[in-house]
Amino acid sequence: MNNESVIKSRFEENGKVFETGAPVTGAVSIENAVAVGFGDGSIRFFWPDNDPLEVQAHSGAIQSIASSNDGVITGGQDGRFLKISTNAEVEEIYNFGTRWVDNVAAYESMVLCSSGKNVYIWSDENDKPKILEHQSTIGGIAIDQNGRRIAVSCYGGVTLWRLEKNKWKSSKFAWKGSHGKVGFSPDGKYLVTTMQENELHAWRIRDKASFAMSGYPSKVKSFTWAGDNPYLVTAGAKEAICWPFDGKEGPKGRKPLCIASGGQQNATFVESLPGEKAVFAGFRNGMVLLSELSEHPNDVLIQNPTGSEVSNISISPDRSHILVGDSKGQILWSPLWEQ
Amino acid sequence: MENSSSQVPVTVLTGFLGAGKTTLLNRILTEQHGRRYAVIVNEFGEQGIDNDLVVDADEEVFEMNNGCICCTVRGDLIRILGGLMKRADQLDAIIVETTGLADPAPVAQTFFVDQDVADRTKLDAIVTVADAVHLSTQLGEHHEAEEQIAFADVVLLNKIDLVDQSQITGVKDRIRKINPYTKIIETNRCAAPLDEVLGLNAFSLDRVLEVEPDFLDSDHDHEHDDDVTSVSFVSDTPLDLEKFEKWFGNLLQTHGQNILRSKGILDFKNEKDRYVFQGVHMLMDASPMGPWPEKSIRNSRVVFIGRKLETMNLKEGFESCKSD
Repeated sequence: MNNESVIKSRFEENGKVFETGAPVTGAVSIENAVAVGFGDGSIRFFWPDNDPLEVQAHSGAIQSIASSNDGVITGGQDGRFLKISTNAEVEEIYNFGTRWVDNVAAYESMVLCSSGKNVYIWSDENDKPKILEHQSTIGGIAIDQNGRRIAVSCYGGVTLWRLEKNKWKSSKFAWKGSHGKVGFSPDGKYLVTTMQENELHAWRIRDKASFAMSGYPSKVKSFTWAGDNPYLVTAGAKEAICWPFDGKEGPKGRKPLCIASGGQQNATFVESLPGEKAVFAGFRNGMVLLSELSEHPNDVLIQNPTGSEVSNISISPDRSHILVGDSKGQILWSPLWEQ
Repeated sequence: MENSSSQVPVTVLTGFLGAGKTTLLNRILTEQHGRRYAVIVNEFGEQGIDNDLVVDADEEVFEMNNGCICCTVRGDLIRILGGLMKRADQLDAIIVETTGLADPAPVAQTFFVDQDVADRTKLDAIVTVADAVHLSTQLGEHHEAEEQIAFADVVLLNKIDLVDQSQITGVKDRIRKINPYTKIIETNRCAAPLDEVLGLNAFSLDRVLEVEPDFLDSDHDHEHDDDVTSVSFVSDTPLDLEKFEKWFGNLLQTHGQNILRSKGILDFKNEKDRYVFQGVHMLMDASPMGPWPEKSIRNSRVVFIGRKLETMNLKEGFESCKSD
């Protein structure tokens, strides 16, 4: 690429670029910061006004990161499940030895993680975790908006656990194949998973009616929800593919919106801009676009191609800053609005 | 496909319980100073493994929803290889130790089917450790033992100090009958030169050109229906590209389950280039590999390793692909 011909975006002009040297594996909002997990086991907190704070947490890559009510929780390839406060205090919740901690999630004082085929739940300062067992290694976990249901994906579908009279009761949502990331729709009515095949699967929880969202040229590694309808926004294609989840039947038999069409390569990460009908899409070549959720969207360039796949896009809790991270460890941290 | 230099080589160690897989693994880890390996193990705790990057996993075989019934992959490998590629430190190689009864096909197929795995890693070779004392019995009793030999790029025939020369000859004949392409290394305590076990690039199409099969004149009288055998054909008449594609595509679709491995170098009429292919069950990798070298004999050679090969009319099918 001829660098002289590249016109920097406003975000690249006004923002700071950090070369960390370690792949960005995840990021999450906490208090007024964005906390980023890296492939070398470190965490960095990015604040709107201060320099970033680095905490060496795990040896080996961070597999998963989530925010809890008093710090971020992380699962690592070193088998450790940690809680890290924004002033760099590290507390080990549990050590699984040679087994990776693949997924973590939290709701108020409840924290959970998956390692192998089990989900481990700690709630209300209990030292001993409650263990939920599954038939194969867990691909993803999600907690609903009220903290009453946990969705766990693995080979063959999703197990939905409900807390009833202090007991976790399970219900199976079956679909052949291997399921990865899982999430609830914002209204809690649908479950969505990414699959080993180039598609997503969804179930309406009420009656377990299920459908596939397919046609992608590559694996769907990222999805999010945007707009009031809402739309399920997905990576995996050259555009951000947005499926309408309004009405009784959701996207069944309807065409998706295709936005952020300026990328030359497949999208690898998508994130919504809270409060706006707009979506950020990051691509395999490092390009990031902001696009409107509409039939004829305008695209805004956030980041020019870096040569490495976009592995995270996060918005600071006060919506003042955007963070873009890639698989080689470059971070763009930039004000989101004109100064 | 990514530049091959950025792909981390993956060596798969198979072999029955007690054959010496862990011995070989520890040998690799202690002798290769200064190189960084990740080891994925499935029988953890049996014997210590001397490495700081050991990943404990369960073998999980997943069916793919792509309409291909024999297309299975190792879900645990997709997950772990993906995770290892997120690390900041560069790995020189990854070694996967399978359980004694593992079928190597899903491991090999993972590298054909999963794009992320294929972009970042490459299958270097399948190395099978065989117990010279017990292999003959195991081949008769377990399908998996035959599959491990059929898929092997290298067989380490271990514990040869415990058998006499005639037994060694017998067991080697047995191995070659299943897989004439495999290299057999006789060892005690897995003491093989490591450059004959690692860095082989056995799954690259280049290697199909280099390795000459070691065919035996074997009689086929004593075979059971389920035995794994191999057949090969040569044609000096150039083949017709269209006819070959039609026959071969149909063959893999109808008999792919019983064809464990296939390889070939093809001379098509009116084509300047050599065509090379290799397959695992129904999945295949094929490509033109440049013009035929000067002074070399232009002919077509194919080999099939599998079960019930006699039911597939392979000879007639191959003959029918000859150009007019």
